[in-house]
Amino acid sequence: MESLRIPILKIGDILIASIQVNLHDASAVQFKDDLLEKIHATRAKGVIIDLTALDLVDSFIGRLIADIAAMAGLMGSRVVITGLQPAVAITLVELGLELPRVITALNLEKGLSVLQRLTAESGDGAA
Amino acid sequence: MGQPKSAVIRSDLDIVIARTMARDMARALGFSAVDQARIATAVSELARNIYLYAGTGTVTVREVEKLGRKGIEIVCEDQGPGIPDVDLVMQDGYTTSRGMGMGLPGAKRLMDDFVIQSQVGVGTKIVLRKWRN
Repeated sequence: MESLRIPILKIGDILIASIQVNLHDASAVQFKDDLLEKIHATRAKGVIIDLTALDLVDSFIGRLIADIAAMAGLMGSRVVITGLQPAVAITLVELGLELPRVITALNLEKGLSVLQRLTAESGDGAA
Repeated sequence: MGQPKSAVIRSDLDIVIARTMARDMARALGFSAVDQARIATAVSELARNIYLYAGTGTVTVREVEKLGRKGIEIVCEDQGPGIPDVDLVMQDGYTTSRGMGMGLPGAKRLMDDFVIQSQVGVGTKIVLRKWRN
C-alpha cells in the first residue's frame, strides 16, 4: 500500500506539520524524509510537529521523532514537538522513552513562541 | 463476555490494526484513556517484534475475569526463530541491530501481567494482562 503523506505547511521561516492519522511505520518514515527535504528546499529555520491528535506514540514513532529533531538540527533547523496528550506522555515515560533532547511545548501557540525565541537566539531569526 | 478478536501480523499495517483492535476492546471494557494508551502501546511493541523478528504471527485480545475483577488479555504468538536468552532481552537497554532495547521490558512495564515463553526454532508466546481498577 502507498504510504500516507502528511501535509507540511510553510508559514514564513517555519514549517508546520500536524499528524492526525494512526501512523504505520512506512508512512512515519516517509514523513521524516518529506520533512527533511522540505527543510532543505525552503531553508526553514524552525519546524513544529503537532501531535495533538495522536493517541499513541510507541517506541518506533518516538525514536523517529528524536531522529527528526537530531537530523533537522544538523541541517540548522530547530524542531519543537507540541500537543502531546497526557496519556501519550505517561506511556512514553513508562516505556522508557523520555526523549530528553527533544524540545516540546504544550500547544501550537506556545510552540511558535518557543521556536521564535530559539531561532532569534541563534542569531538568524530576526525578520 | 465478548468474543476474542485476532489479528494476523504480516506487515507494518497489521501493527496498526492489532493496536487499534486492542484499544477498541480496552475502551469497550471501560479502561481509562491512559490505560487504553498503555495497552495499545504494549500491543504495538509486541506486534512490531513479531513483524521484525518472526515475519508473521498473531495477536489475540480477549476479556478475562479473576476474583470478580475484569481485565484484558493479549496473546502474541509466532513460529519465528525464538529468543535464545529471554533474561537478556528483558533487560532495559538490551538491543539488537533492528530493535531499540525497550520493546519487551517497556511492554512489561505498561501492563500488569507479562508471561513469556520462547523456544529457539519453535517460536515465542507472550501473554499480557491488564486489570481494570
